[in-house]
Amino acid sequence: MTRSHILFLNVSGIAVSLVLWEIAGRIVGPSLLAAPSVVIGTFLDLLFQGDMLRELFGSLRQMLVGFGLACIIGMPLGALMGRIRLVDALFHPWVSMVVVTSVAALAPLFILIFGTGFEFRVAIVFVASFGYIVLTAFHGARGIDPKIVDVARSFAVGPFESYRQVILPALFPYLITGARLGLIHAIRAMVMAEMFVLVGYGGLIFQSGQELSTAPLISYLVSLMAVSILANSVLGWTGRRLAPWYDSKMSR
Amino acid sequence: MNGGSSGAVAIAAPRKSGIDVLQRMTRKILPYAGSVILGLLLWQFAASFLPGVVFASPARVFEHLVGAFASGELPIRFAHSVQHMILGMLLALLVGIPVGMIMGRSETAFHMLNPVVTAIFSIPSVAFVPFLIIWFGIFFEARVALVFVMAVFDIIITVTAGARNIEPRIIQAAKSFGASRRLTFTRVLLPASLPFLMTALRIGAIRSVNGMITAELFFAAVNLGEYMEDASAAFDSAAMLSVVFCLALFGLLIQELIKYAETRLLPWHVRD
Repeated sequence: MTRSHILFLNVSGIAVSLVLWEIAGRIVGPSLLAAPSVVIGTFLDLLFQGDMLRELFGSLRQMLVGFGLACIIGMPLGALMGRIRLVDALFHPWVSMVVVTSVAALAPLFILIFGTGFEFRVAIVFVASFGYIVLTAFHGARGIDPKIVDVARSFAVGPFESYRQVILPALFPYLITGARLGLIHAIRAMVMAEMFVLVGYGGLIFQSGQELSTAPLISYLVSLMAVSILANSVLGWTGRRLAPWYDSKMSR
Repeated sequence: MNGGSSGAVAIAAPRKSGIDVLQRMTRKILPYAGSVILGLLLWQFAASFLPGVVFASPARVFEHLVGAFASGELPIRFAHSVQHMILGMLLALLVGIPVGMIMGRSETAFHMLNPVVTAIFSIPSVAFVPFLIIWFGIFFEARVALVFVMAVFDIIITVTAGARNIEPRIIQAAKSFGASRRLTFTRVLLPASLPFLMTALRIGAIRSVNGMITAELFFAAVNLGEYMEDASAAFDSAAMLSVVFCLALFGLLIQELIKYAETRLLPWHVRD
């Protein structure tokens, strides 16, 4: 299939969905489902009013703190787990536990511990993204071909140099993938936490559900979608830019 | 069995498997147990520094669990919660698997649907809660709907990726040997799909457990959600941790069960 053919299918798929949405919206009315033609006006209004973007970026800033902490702690931990059996044995059961635990169930508990402010949101985002970042780094580190490590050793490369020259480049695609996966869960957790305590962007979403039209609600969801897709492609682009071997490793 | 040589094998075999069991014990179970015990000790240690209302010690959580299980309250609530989880998950599988298979096997369908699925998937499922309230209210239907929304996209994406990666050679081989479309589907495509269908089931199940408790906290607080809200109102962190612990255990249990089923049903499929 050629590129233009694929592009045509992409565009027509989106167009068909929009038409179906428009028809459905016209039938049930904006109080149940606002049609795209209605949403676009509301969306532009909210965009120029400024509240929507301000709340969104405020929430994202807080999210980045939790997500950043999860990366700083999770990536080295995952890499160590993949290379050293003892570290793996010590941490793996608890990391699996964190991954399967639903962050929503932790929300009431975290409110008790941290209150409903900044720390609460950071903690929820951290817990939600941490496990995925660790496990992806773990699989990357464990899957490193022993041959390339042996080659480095045969050439008497020291442990620090072999880490920098061999392990890290081999690990890098997995770290980026882990960050992309973690980011998805971080955004999910951010919205969940904010909807729970009715602050920030999540609070905005929850409260817009009480309005007469669903157009503002859909507008908020569309902005969230745009940010999420943008962040994901920025990370993917960074991966390809910093490590040209990223795609060959991750294309499948 | 009667011959001398096979007798030697018969004697040697149990000894070998005995060593295997012992090795598996020391390699797998001991570190696991050690990690759990060490973690619990650390937790007990940390809890002794924090006020009990905020962060209960494992001993107190255990005490609470014994009480809640003895009175039957927690198991009954769990049984009620599982109902909407199962229904939502079944619906998600019913929709997600066919859609994923079509997207995975047809290039046209993939390129048409992929942007739409990616777009909706990138919206956090909880953000649909206001919508679900408008459409389904705040009771059983809404809970089923949230579980469905939370699980279905993960299932579609997993199945699509799996179906796209089916080795084309095995289908070509079937075609070369003159297999009909139906035969190719039942004898080649379906067995080749089972591994990623199991993966989709596993991911879907974990998302469903997640959706189950999220629904009960965000819609009308019932079952486990009510239990947590009551505990939160009473500053009872032991009760909250008990629920979190049970949910995590429940999730792990489902995951391990599906993994076990996978190794029994699909012995040819080697997992890493």
